[in-house]
Amino acid sequence: MGRSYLVDDLVEKYLITLQSVDLPFVTGLLIGQIAVQKDYVVLAAQTPQREKEAENTVSNRSTAASSLDDIDIQWVSEHAKQVSQMLPGGLSVLGVFLIHPPELSKEAQNTLRRLLFAVEKLISKGRLWKITEDDVSERVMLQICSKTRKAICRTFDVMDPKSSAKPADWKYQSGVSGSWQALQCSVELDLEFPISETSANMDKCTKEGLQRWAKQIETSLCLINGKCLADNLDVTAGLKKNAKANQPKLQAQILIPAAMSGVEQRSTASVQTCGGVLTMKGVVHCRAYVYTSKPRARQAVEAIKRDVMNTVLCRTEMLFEDLLMNKGAVSGQQPLPLRVFAPVPGTALCVCDYMFPDEATADVKERFKEMLDCDIPEDSIDTSQEAPVEKQSDIHSEECMGNVTPESPAEATKREKSLRPYIGVAMAAGVALLAMAVSLLYLGD
Amino acid sequence: MVVVDVGSMVFRLRGGLELTCQLDSADGPSVQQTLSGAFKRLCAKVRSESLVFCIRNSPLLIWPNKGVHIIPDDVKESTPCKDIQQHIQAEENDSGKKSSKKKDRKSATTCVINLDLMMEVTEPSRLSATVLTRRNQKQHFVRMTLPMDCVASVQMEETIGVVSGLLVGALCDQLADMERMVLQHMKGTALLLPQPLHFLLPEPAGLVTVVYPAGVPDSRLELNRKELHSRFELPDDRPCFRRANAFHFPDEPYKDGYLRNPHTALNLPNMESAKPYVVQGVYSYHHYMQDHMDDNGWGCAYRSLQTICSWFQQQGYVDRDVPSHKEIQQALVDVGDKPAPFVGSRQWIGSIEVQAVLDKLLGVTSKILFVSQGSDLASKGRELATHFQTEGTPVMIGGGVLAHTILGVLWSETTGQIKFLILDPHYTGGEDLQVITDKGWCGWKGPEFWDQNAYYNMCLPQRPKTI
Repeated sequence: MGRSYLVDDLVEKYLITLQSVDLPFVTGLLIGQIAVQKDYVVLAAQTPQREKEAENTVSNRSTAASSLDDIDIQWVSEHAKQVSQMLPGGLSVLGVFLIHPPELSKEAQNTLRRLLFAVEKLISKGRLWKITEDDVSERVMLQICSKTRKAICRTFDVMDPKSSAKPADWKYQSGVSGSWQALQCSVELDLEFPISETSANMDKCTKEGLQRWAKQIETSLCLINGKCLADNLDVTAGLKKNAKANQPKLQAQILIPAAMSGVEQRSTASVQTCGGVLTMKGVVHCRAYVYTSKPRARQAVEAIKRDVMNTVLCRTEMLFEDLLMNKGAVSGQQPLPLRVFAPVPGTALCVCDYMFPDEATADVKERFKEMLDCDIPEDSIDTSQEAPVEKQSDIHSEECMGNVTPESPAEATKREKSLRPYIGVAMAAGVALLAMAVSLLYLGD
Repeated sequence: MVVVDVGSMVFRLRGGLELTCQLDSADGPSVQQTLSGAFKRLCAKVRSESLVFCIRNSPLLIWPNKGVHIIPDDVKESTPCKDIQQHIQAEENDSGKKSSKKKDRKSATTCVINLDLMMEVTEPSRLSATVLTRRNQKQHFVRMTLPMDCVASVQMEETIGVVSGLLVGALCDQLADMERMVLQHMKGTALLLPQPLHFLLPEPAGLVTVVYPAGVPDSRLELNRKELHSRFELPDDRPCFRRANAFHFPDEPYKDGYLRNPHTALNLPNMESAKPYVVQGVYSYHHYMQDHMDDNGWGCAYRSLQTICSWFQQQGYVDRDVPSHKEIQQALVDVGDKPAPFVGSRQWIGSIEVQAVLDKLLGVTSKILFVSQGSDLASKGRELATHFQTEGTPVMIGGGVLAHTILGVLWSETTGQIKFLILDPHYTGGEDLQVITDKGWCGWKGPEFWDQNAYYNMCLPQRPKTI
């Protein structure tokens, strides 16, 4: 028997509305939680239209598409990457869907397979945590004929490039997106990365530093509501079972073992010549969700730990991408974007986004609409989880940062707003540029 | 060997603290200032609320600086230390039942609670956004993991709160010691790693922790030791603070597999007005068939010599490892005592050869005590008692075809009655303390143990006068 997918009714409704859209085909992402037994699908989001494409569609509207070759795999993957950055721990892009006219059904599966692998490759690129033996590597493709409405659900093992399609069970149910338990914590960062003398390598140095840190997070001890729970224990046990929503969030605590690793091998301190030092200091808010059908502690702990690593990596990447597009470099103090959360209407889940200091909640709302095809009222966006930069917040700044020319954050991040690499505006013109930026970022891989 | 007082417990806290700093120049005073700053920051970290102690093999976690917050919450700040034991699960032990039985007996008198150092990164005191700061300057980025290792000995009735406080203090003190050591041995930007070691001194000092620079041999640290000897008013004719003298915690198995001091498991026989005079310090039991070496029938004196060498090594007198049969034979050839083909042979050696090898390989001189017949050994009580009192080294005795190690005597000055504490190198079995003591491979023997008509030579190694 293949995997089964428990899908929220809202996703069904959404897919039905897409079937009536006047386009030759529609691609999009399926979002939810991967669990051992089955996956839970809570959201679907169509690939945003590229402006260029939109024009084409207008001119080609009468002639039905004869091929799926028009699907821009890079575009869809980039969408998936950005969407996955908007998901708290425990939620991820589970796969892709395609709504197509009957005549394209034959080539659909091949196209979807390529999409699925491309999406997974980009999402997992550079990530700080290691997948474990228990991680499920099956990803889903859902193919819907726009005429007959017939849906075919298949999975592929994305870890095996030779894997073939396996049948899977796709089942709609109401309330899937309503029963989720949230965990949260705020994690203090106090990291230092020596950077080599040429600034071109700064990303690499930062990446290496983050990898060291991520190892600590991976091996850390995680407490839930002040307790160290056995792996298989239900994290919701002992909580009052309230009606659906408004379940109180569980508080996670992360304790890092002061490891003695490598102590015996050395008799001297490691001394590295460098051209400077990057410090990352501050607090990041982290959140994860587990489906409330007997959520086990191990799963909850893994979800929150991965969120900790993801959110730090994601913000660092965003900052570097932003700087690269503005041909800038980290100089003086540079705030990382703040994480904001917003509830997805009709669900018990929140999605998140990152705001640069010069951005407003309106920008966030716009991105939610574009990336998740989701209308989220601006006033429901919660910006309170992370405080903005305090002036001169650093205690040690005088001691060890004596030579920093203090530059106010506002000044440091002065840049052209339109270049914020969100897909609708920047991507249309700049996929190539972004791709270049990304490849520069991972030069060290 | 009395490790720690009955009724007291030792808390041992370990963990690596990462020290990082940036040196702008190799100029002494500025390096010193930067390093001191880095140590100060670590000390602040150790005093912060995020410090956590995790009691090994238990679910117990302690936040010592958060008003001594403890989970699970049935353990309180005021809980006496002795109650901690019930939360600790015995470590999986793959050795047989018998040895674990012994262990139980031991843990009844002395108890070591191991704690691991952790740092909480959640629940920060204040929320401030994350900022990336870049400082551009050509410099040296220094990183070292300080191997913190602190102990606190307390009475069983003492509370967890008190112990936590002691350990936090010990951490800070150790950081200060490490800072001093690093600065003292610094050359340019080359920084030696501190290496904390514990030494068990006579009361009232008890367990004392000293920080040495890693990689610097004992021979170059004599000045430091002199200072320590005078500070703790220790005799300056024997090593007390060499690395080999470091306290071996009873809960840590010796990795080389040899048994240490098996005689401590024996009960003293009853003898009126007699006093025991036994070997001082630590030796390992060497006997037939060890080290994948079949020396059954000819190697007993070699093994007895190895036991003596192990004593000198573990008391810190020599660095060299216990010599193999071949090395012993080579040494005898080198001093001209034996012809070259002796190396690799299965020929016996006696007390005089043992004396020669100790001199050649260890630089240790020995006295030879001779008796023309075994029955005379009973009259050597005073000499042997004096030896164990002043030198305290194991004695090798050879006579007839057998060699043994004498570890002590139980001797009555008034009646002249005597028993010998014998360690028998002819044992061919495994390292099972129960068998060794039950079957008398290590045991108290009367004068009838000796062949009454054979002559015997005893080799009494003398301690070099050194620290």
